Formats: sequence, structure tokens, C-alpha cells
Amino acid sequence: MGLEQFKNRNVGQQNYVMLDLEHTPQTGMGKFRQVVRRTFKAELFVGLWVTMREMINALFRGQMHTVKYPLEKLPISPRYRAIHEMLRLLESGHYRCIGCGLCEKICISNCITMDTRYDENQRKEVSEYTINFGRCIFCGYCAEVCPELAIVHGPRYETASEQRASFSLFEDMLTPIDKLNLQQEYDGFGAVTPNADENIKKTPLAY
Amino acid sequence: MGATHNSINTGKPITVTIDGKVCKSTFGKTILEIARENDIYIPTMCYLTKVQPIGSCRMCVVNVEGVDGMILSCQEKAVDGAVITTNNEALFTERQNIMKLYDVNHPLECGVCDKSGECDLQNKTMEFDVDQQNFTARDQHRPVENWGYVSYDPALCIMCEKCVRVSTEITGDEALKVKFGGYGSTIINVKKEKNYASLGDAAAVCPVGALVSTHFKYTSNAWELNKIPSACPHCGGGCQMYYEVKRDRIYRVTNEYEFTNLCGAGRYGFDYANEGVSKDAEAFAKAVEAFKKAESVIVAPQISNEEALILQKLKEKYGFKLVSHEARAYQRFMRAYSEVTGKHLYGGDLKRLSESQAIIVFGSRVNNDAPTVKYHINMASKWHRARVAYMHPMEDAEMQHIVTQFIKYEVGSEEGVAALLAHTLLEHAELPQSVRGILDDLDIGNLSAECNVGEEELDALKRSLIKKHGFSLVVGSDLYMHPRAEQIAKLVALLETYAGFNVICVPPAGNAMGLSLICDLDDAAEGYTVGYDVKADFTLSALGNGDLDMPALNQQEGTLTTVDKRVVPMHVALPYGGYVLNDIANALGLRAKYTIDYTVQLPEEKGFVKTAFDDLPEYFDAVGTEHRGYLLNAQQVESGCELDEIEEIEAFDGAIVYRCDPVDQFSPFTAKAKLLEDEPVLLGSSQFAAAAKLKEGEHIRFEVDGVVFERLFKIDTDMKGTIALNPTFDMGLSSSLLSSYRFSRLVYEKINIGNNDE
Repeated sequence: MGLEQFKNRNVGQQNYVMLDLEHTPQTGMGKFRQVVRRTFKAELFVGLWVTMREMINALFRGQMHTVKYPLEKLPISPRYRAIHEMLRLLESGHYRCIGCGLCEKICISNCITMDTRYDENQRKEVSEYTINFGRCIFCGYCAEVCPELAIVHGPRYETASEQRASFSLFEDMLTPIDKLNLQQEYDGFGAVTPNADENIKKTPLAY
Repeated sequence: MGATHNSINTGKPITVTIDGKVCKSTFGKTILEIARENDIYIPTMCYLTKVQPIGSCRMCVVNVEGVDGMILSCQEKAVDGAVITTNNEALFTERQNIMKLYDVNHPLECGVCDKSGECDLQNKTMEFDVDQQNFTARDQHRPVENWGYVSYDPALCIMCEKCVRVSTEITGDEALKVKFGGYGSTIINVKKEKNYASLGDAAAVCPVGALVSTHFKYTSNAWELNKIPSACPHCGGGCQMYYEVKRDRIYRVTNEYEFTNLCGAGRYGFDYANEGVSKDAEAFAKAVEAFKKAESVIVAPQISNEEALILQKLKEKYGFKLVSHEARAYQRFMRAYSEVTGKHLYGGDLKRLSESQAIIVFGSRVNNDAPTVKYHINMASKWHRARVAYMHPMEDAEMQHIVTQFIKYEVGSEEGVAALLAHTLLEHAELPQSVRGILDDLDIGNLSAECNVGEEELDALKRSLIKKHGFSLVVGSDLYMHPRAEQIAKLVALLETYAGFNVICVPPAGNAMGLSLICDLDDAAEGYTVGYDVKADFTLSALGNGDLDMPALNQQEGTLTTVDKRVVPMHVALPYGGYVLNDIANALGLRAKYTIDYTVQLPEEKGFVKTAFDDLPEYFDAVGTEHRGYLLNAQQVESGCELDEIEEIEAFDGAIVYRCDPVDQFSPFTAKAKLLEDEPVLLGSSQFAAAAKLKEGEHIRFEVDGVVFERLFKIDTDMKGTIALNPTFDMGLSSSLLSSYRFSRLVYEKINIGNNDE
């Protein structure tokens, strides 16, 4: 199943098909006639055939329409807001978060807590970062406000677990360093708009 | 503010029109000052009210009718009848261009910058709609520099020079300088090795994130912090401050930097709270019992006025002796002082000190004892080229660039010196017959020989005061604990009454002044003792090492009495879970729901005003007038001056130790603060080492007033003479037991410690 229909954010230009439905009969005679016609037209077998055909397609021709959840999962829209992920810079592998604290500030359920410090390289280091998922309402503001696309919503929507894992630490959300090549860019809230390049103004460089 | 002082015609009423508003003011004030008085906004970047106008930003330009071009409103004095426009299209464009120039190559790192959210550059860039950049300059490599307490990022610096001015005109450390070089100009620290904590005051005025406190850097965003207004309890200066708190932790201390100053101790000595305390009912019951059977209560001066009043009321009820050595000495000194002046407080204040043209410092190592007083002396020195005579047995290298005349006297000869001062400066004053008689009878030659103060030195001092006006005299703790303190007080008081001196009797550290005003103190403890922050038979301690915990001063509400004779409120910065003194008082029969219920009961006969704690104001207005708490009213007291004969001076020979903490250390509380890292060592010159037969690195043990000191001896090459500095801040609950004259002979034994460590 492709994502094209999700990616197309412009709802107005999709192709809708009008169904050609006959008018509902108003009189008693009309209703009687409709019943008789439908009973003897053998449409029952048309329906049975459709079922049969789809079963054969699914079982023998590999056109199964259902998924075996939880072994299989449907891909979800990039705009879906599930458990957060922390992304890394592809070049250096360093985490993208600069510790600006905007996510902490904007969070309307006050579930993000962070601490930063001055590190040995004279940079701002995130020394502690937690999200209380017991409180999080997945509004997506944190991802939207993040200037570095560092905190994003991932596709992990199953939040039930055997333990009460309501807190999540920075390390849990961070892309594992060995899976850096599998890190997906995020297209949802806060992502650059497709026409971002057009909006850039250049700074003059006289020298 | 400084610019307004020395000009002719100053004070003549004038009327100017600013943006159509008719403003009445006085000649000598700048256009900007008059605008601010009248709530008219003129944008500025480099203007700092507490220093002289800098004029580096040119944001404050205005148009004056009949004058071509733009006028710098921060420097130009308004003339009568001027018609001034503060904003029009041309001025807006000018200011917008200035902001664009400031923004050239300014790193886009607001996301991590500490200043983000309270940054003048951010605010003004928004205010003047800078949405595009037309200017450009080749960027340079400018590495971040770490100077200890503060760090400097030249890439963020906009060269407004505020920090340099504060370092020079206010704190007087003179560490920061401008390195000129066009676009490559930077601020440099010429005294990096000293690592002055007072540079925190320079960092406070930085409008961007260039100069910041290293400990705070990158730890929190400004907007996350909750500002809790308070007063600094360390030295008795009671400087205005804010504790900036997040999640029950103090992240930093800031102040109203536009108008007030804060020394290193106030800014970096904030983490002394008594944390993790819960209510220990058993210890509480014992404390109540201890108070019931106590014959004496000994108090350290680090308490609020309200706590002092509680103790006074308990004293009245239970009849125990109330002892606080430093406060008692100050109380006796001030009582003798008031017998001459007829007022129960000294007459001087810090503002007049900073406006003086001649200042005498007597009996205090003022840079260590009261930094805020030193700052005001420095302001007078920088703004009015004030003559500063520094009279002390020891020279202070940190005061060298301010002091114009150092007068050294013998240890113990303060009474003689005071008499000589009075004799010299009151030569032509109209004095009561009895006083005149005693002063005339002085054997000047003998006195000056005994004090080792040359008559020519005094003559030079007298000559330097000719043609000057605005004299100040600062006296300090050396005198209060002197055996002849009362006589010295009277001699000093003569200068206030008969020579018009602005005299400041700097109170000893903590709230000693409040204690001395509120409590009837006794000289010595006896019998079963209860100590508050003092080691006793039963000890209440805010340091967390006593029999019952008490809240530290940043964990409780209350008021402090300051060197400026002001009663200022403190608020709760950190939570406290244990019992407070008021709980004990309630268990002993007093009735008050909160400690601050006592604020309104502070004794009016001692100058306190009958105001509830919650009604105390706490703000500065647009021109910087302080509305913080209230000023003590000077009360009339019976005067009747009886001077004694000057006593024979007791000679102090050989090696002497002087009780004096390092700069920015005052008490066990500053010692507890992690950012203030001072080593408690006995610091002396090589001359002292020879006199005491000590070598650098030796450990010795000696005793002062029954308190045993174990000290490592170090030689300071900047020092001279046979007096060494002996700190007391690390002595914990014992430091307030010291009760004698600050100088004492050194009798020691050598001990061996520390050699087996490695």
C-alpha cells in the first residue's frame, strides 16, 4: 500500500466517483416490484462469486487485503503523532538536540523535563531529558517548535506495555548509533515545507 | 548619573518639551534622564543608569528643534525651552540601521544562548523590524575565553562597553579593558590570574550573551527561572538581589543591575540552604526544654530582624542572657557615638559617600569587610577624583589604585589615631569647651610617635581636604572590638557633628546592625547555653550540624537592616521542611502564626517603622530611586559628651594575626557555597614569616578567644609588614565565639599534618 494518497495534502483535487443509484420506490406496488426483481435476478450468486474470487486471489495469487496484526503492521501517515524519537545528525552521528528548551516551554501538559550544562568542549550539552508519557497528549507541539528537527514523532503507536513505563529517557528515544543509516527523515509537524527554498532570502556578501 | 554632579548652574529649574509633553526638570540632567522621569521612552543599547553615559551605541539619538542633525540624548544636557522629538521616520531608520549593524555576523545561536529571552539585541531587532540585512563584514575567528567566574564569547559581543565601565567605575577591580581595533575590537581581561568574583557584576550588565557567569552558562533558559526578590544577607550591605529558582534549586543570582550592585559573595554565594530537613519532634521538644533552662543564648549575626525580636521577647520572658559578640561591640560603639551626635544612628549613607570628594577610611580592611562600601568609595574616586585616605596598620594591594594616601598606624593605637584625626580636622571647628579643652591638651608629638603617624602625614591629609567639599569617613570593625571602643566612637562622632563628615560606621557582617538595634545584648555568656548558629550546650543550626535544624536565610521570610540604614525584605527562595524559631517561641508562650508577624512589632523607638511585612515595597522606579523596605528614622537620644583622657597605647610587637576573611567570604554560610572556593590559610608577608619564625607550607595551631585555629601558612608577596590575615569563615559554629580586638599576638605550636596524604 503506497503512501501517495496520504502525502497528497491537497484534499480538493482528488477524484471522487458519483454512484449511479436508482430512486427509492415510493408506492407499495413499486416496493413489491423491487423485491420480486431482486429475488429472481440471481444477484445472490454474483455476490457469492465476488467472495470466491477474492478468496482465490488472496490465497493463491498473493493479493491479501488484511494484515496479520501484530505480526504485520500497516504503514501510517507521517503526520501521525506517536511516541517521540530523537534524531541524530547523519554526518557526525551526534544527536541533533541543541538543548534550546523550546519543547519544554511549549509543552502544554508539562511532560517534558530537561537539564543542560556547559560541557568540556564549551558547548551546550543535554544532560537529562525525559518525557512523561503518562501525561503526554501527543499534540505534536514539541516536534513543531523544534528548530533542529531533533524531536519528532515516530511511528510507534502501541503505548501499552506490561510495565508502567511512563517515563522515557533521552537514550531510549535516540536513534541507536548502529542504526543511523536506517534513520528516517520526518515529514510531519515541523518539517520543512516543500517550497522552503523559495522563501530563503540571501545575506549580502560584499567581499 | 555621574554626569550630573559637577556642573555650574546645576539645579536651576528648566522646562523642556519632549514629544509635545511639557516636562519640568532641573538643569544638569540629560535629555534621556528627563525623558525617563516623565515616562517617555527613548531606546538605548549601551546606556547604563549607574555609570556615566558611554555613548557607544548611538541609539538614543533625538532631534532638537533648531539644531542640525541628531543629538545623543544620553550625553546632552537639556537646556531651558528645548523642543525635542524622540521619534520620527528618520530616527527610526537610523535606529534600524544601527540594529542591522549590530546584527552583522552575530551568531544565530539564540537557541542555546543564555541571554535568549532577556536579550536586548533580540528585543531591539524585533522592535525595529529588522527583517533583512544590507550590511556585511568578513567574519573573524573569535574563540570563547573562560576567565573563571565569568566567560567571554567575543563573537556575541556588541562592544557596548558596559562591562568595562562597571569593572572600572563601580567594582573597581579594573580587570576589563577595551582592546581597540575597529571591527576586531574586543573586551580583554588584564587581570585574568586574579579571577575576581566581582566580574559577576560586569557580566550582569551584558545586554547580550557575551559575558556570562560560567557556572550558569547553558544550564537554563532565562524564562524558565522564577525570580524571587530578596536581599543579600552576607556582609550587612543588604544589596538587592533576585534568587532565580527552578524546581527547588537556585540556578543563579541576579540583581537590578541598572541601578544596584552586587559583589561576588552575593552573586555566587547562594547555595548555603539547609536542605533535606524534616520535622524532628523529639529534637524540637529538647530545644524547647533547652530554652526553658537556658541561662544564656548566644546568637550569630546571620539572623533576620524578626528572629532577633523573637529572641528579645524570649529574653524578656525568661530572663536569660542574650549574647552576640560582634553585635554587642557595635551596639556599645553606637551608643557612645550617639552620646555625641544626639542621634541613635550614624548620619552617613552610601549615596553621599559616592558623591564625596574626600574620603577617610579608618579601622577597616574595607575591601574585605564590606565590598559595597568599597564600590561606593571607588565611584567617588572615579567620578569626582576623590582623595581617599586609607588608615590601617596594613596596606591593601586591592585598594592601591583608589587610595591617594595610605596612613599606617601601629596596631592597637586606634584611640590615639582617632584623637589625632579629631585634633587635625577640628582645628577651626566650634566645639564645646570641654571637648576643645581635651583636644588642645593632647600631646600631639607623643601621640603621633606612639601611633607611628607622622605629623606631616596629617598635614598632608588636611591640605588635601582644602577646597574640597563633601567629606566622608568610613569606620569599621577594628574599632568596635577595640578595648577603648567607646572613646574612639566619641572622637569619630565629633567629626560628624562638628566637621560635617558623612560618617558610615560599617556594621559587622550579617545582620549585626539589626541585632544591635533590636536586642538588649549582654557581654558574656554564663551557665547553660543555647546557641543559634553558634556552638553551645544546645545548638540550633542553619548549617545542618546542630541539635535542631533551622532554616538558612534564603529559606525564610524576614527583614534585614543594612549599612544604608534601610530595612529590606527577604523572601523564601528554597523550601524548608523543619521547625523554625517561631515554632519554638510559640511553644514557649509567644503567639505568632508566622515569623513575619513580628515585622510590624519591630521597635519604633529604634527607628523601625510600623509596617507589616507584606506592605513593604520592593521596586526601583524609572530613574532608579530605591523603594525597597524603608529607611530607619534617626531617633533623638540624650547627648552629653564626656571625653576621657587618651590612654597609654599598648604595644603590639612581633608577629600579629588579623582576623580577616578573604574577599567574598564572610561567614560559615559563604564558606558552604560551592562556587566561592577560598582556602582558609594564614596569609602573611615574608617579613611576617621571619618575625614569626615560620616557613611557607608549615601547619600551626594557635588560639584566639578559646577558639583553636589550625592553619597552613602561606606567603603572599603582595603583602608587607608583620601582620598576617587569619580567616574565620571556615570555623563553622565557632566563628561567632570570637569576641576580642581583631588583632592579636601570634603564639603558636607547629603541627604535622598533611604529609602522610600522598
